[in-house]
Amino acid sequence: MFRASTTRIAAVAAGLVAAGGVAQGDSHGITIGYAGGFTGYLAPYDQPSLNGVQLALDQINAAGGIMGMPVEIVVKDTRSDTAQAAVVAQELIDEGVVAMIVSCDVDPAVASGVMAQAAEIPSASSCASTPTLPAAVGPYMFSNYTADNLQGAVLAEYARGQGYENAYILLSRDTPYTEKLPEYFGEAFEAMGGTVVAVGEYTMGQQDFSAEVTNIGGLDPSPDVIQTSAYEPDFPAFIKQLRAAGIDTPVLGSDGIDSPTTFALGDVAEGVVFSNAGFASPGSALEAFEMAYEEKYGMPNDTVFTATGYDLMMVIAAAIEAAGSTDGPAIRDAWDNLENVQVATGSITYKDQNRVPVRVVALNQVSGGERVHVGDFSPDSSMIPAP
Amino acid sequence: MDILIQQFVNALSLGGTYALLALGLAMVFSVLGLINFAHGDLMTLTGYAMFFAIGAGLGLPLAIVLGIACATLAAVAMERVAFRPVRDANTATMLLTSLAVSTILHMLFQNLISARPRAIPVPSWMIGAVDVGGLAIGVIQLMSITATALLLIALSVFLRRSILGIAMRAAALDFPVTRLMGINANAVVATAFGLSGLLAGVAGVLWLAQRGSVDPLMGFLPVLKAFIAVVLGGLGSLAGAVVGGFALAFIEVFLRAFLPDGWLPFRESITLTLVIVLLLVRPEGLIGRRENVR
Repeated sequence: MFRASTTRIAAVAAGLVAAGGVAQGDSHGITIGYAGGFTGYLAPYDQPSLNGVQLALDQINAAGGIMGMPVEIVVKDTRSDTAQAAVVAQELIDEGVVAMIVSCDVDPAVASGVMAQAAEIPSASSCASTPTLPAAVGPYMFSNYTADNLQGAVLAEYARGQGYENAYILLSRDTPYTEKLPEYFGEAFEAMGGTVVAVGEYTMGQQDFSAEVTNIGGLDPSPDVIQTSAYEPDFPAFIKQLRAAGIDTPVLGSDGIDSPTTFALGDVAEGVVFSNAGFASPGSALEAFEMAYEEKYGMPNDTVFTATGYDLMMVIAAAIEAAGSTDGPAIRDAWDNLENVQVATGSITYKDQNRVPVRVVALNQVSGGERVHVGDFSPDSSMIPAP
Repeated sequence: MDILIQQFVNALSLGGTYALLALGLAMVFSVLGLINFAHGDLMTLTGYAMFFAIGAGLGLPLAIVLGIACATLAAVAMERVAFRPVRDANTATMLLTSLAVSTILHMLFQNLISARPRAIPVPSWMIGAVDVGGLAIGVIQLMSITATALLLIALSVFLRRSILGIAMRAAALDFPVTRLMGINANAVVATAFGLSGLLAGVAGVLWLAQRGSVDPLMGFLPVLKAFIAVVLGGLGSLAGAVVGGFALAFIEVFLRAFLPDGWLPFRESITLTLVIVLLLVRPEGLIGRRENVR
């Protein structure tokens, strides 16, 4: 715990020093910017992403940097505030970054992204999963994380493969993620011949799901499967009340529930299947990443956002290397044509994908408080709902 | 009819946690005129105390006791460190102080403990439901209703029978006159904070049992709900806070249960519209007293 705390303080202190405007490196280095929400509601995602990015930087620099030049990162906190995200992005541009990582949520990511777009500097959101994000900003904006429509399609394919005919989906219109992913699931599920029998809605942070659970119990025909992208605290509250009401319908979740909380839920979470960005099977790149992470930070990794942060830094390095230049338009073009970049969670391809990457989606099952690998899926692109 | 009674029980259990939180807010408001927005963070402190206690192998019952004790002590400390120095300043200063305390706590939790949620495992017997006359009542719901009832009874005895309790009720009516009667202001204020911490701790345990994890920002939403409940019930009235908490829960649960599907996206707006309509009809709240204009 203590070591973790000191590294966090060091990370925060580094951010403060950077924000104080200390001169950044020498003229021969490459500077990357990260405008993230390291405090506020995005901290649970951007803090781990930053840890992954820094691990990748260590490895890149140890291997001689990019194009033989050392790489450094300027980290600035947006306080999870959309207006501040634009201000911070401009500060990073003024400091001469050649590429920018922006927040995990769509709104601040757009605010930072449009600044980078205007300056012709490529940027990518650390873990926003809304597939329409790059198109909303322009040709200099990229996605990094597994897109919602991709996850929805993989979950639907799995559900149909299990022979489920009728699905109930539970969504919240509070965020694009909790609304769109279940809708993409429903669309793909119906395209594959299933039926969505009902759609429930909840409010994020709602303690009590008894009204929804009572409705599910009264459905005719009763659903064979329930899909939701609720995450904590909503997912634990929902599934506890669902199982307490004696409803044992299988539940499919998405990467938001890839958290120690889910595995500590005990019997109620038994058998829950969820999608995420990768499974650390023995000998995999992700397992090597997990070991390197524990060595650097002194505590085991407990979220996939560290690995996807690492992936993004590796993608940026590959794009600059392929461009052979630190010129913004050249990096953008090279990034847009990347194929099979080997990263911690597998491989990533941007070529012909409109800046929303194709990457593997892993399915995991909660079994006895442990994570069991169901398989890795790359659905046929005709099966993925249009964003 | 069964579904109606079932939803009634659901609303009663949710209303219990709202009432506990709202009562804590109202208690501090009644003596200081301060809405303490750091109140929800006392729930978060309960959660972290439980997390570390369970991690140290102390077992759940002891962790719950420690969690509630931690919230109570933290509330008293909060008053001593942050609010006593600005007690004579105007209410806007105190309001901003409470927001500052809340923000500082969020940053400390995020940077010293973890920005990621921490799991609090709940034993499986707590997750089941008991059958009461054909109604399935969740164990946590039952605990919530029982704990609320016991605490409300204990508090009303305390407020009616003990000197400090009577002093607190008097302070709610007129603090300067209460002090003229020889009542120690610091003792009254510290007791109000301590009790609000105790109530937040109990509400925290009930909410944590449902959500299964503690995270740095978890106190924010409940304190907003409690604030709505306090305003609805009548600012400055302790009974009003309890009634407001239950009223808010009943509106929420019944709207979610019985609104037609097409209306569901608007349930929050409808809830708040109903609250506004109630306040238009009764500007002083459901049980609030009219201000005497002299």
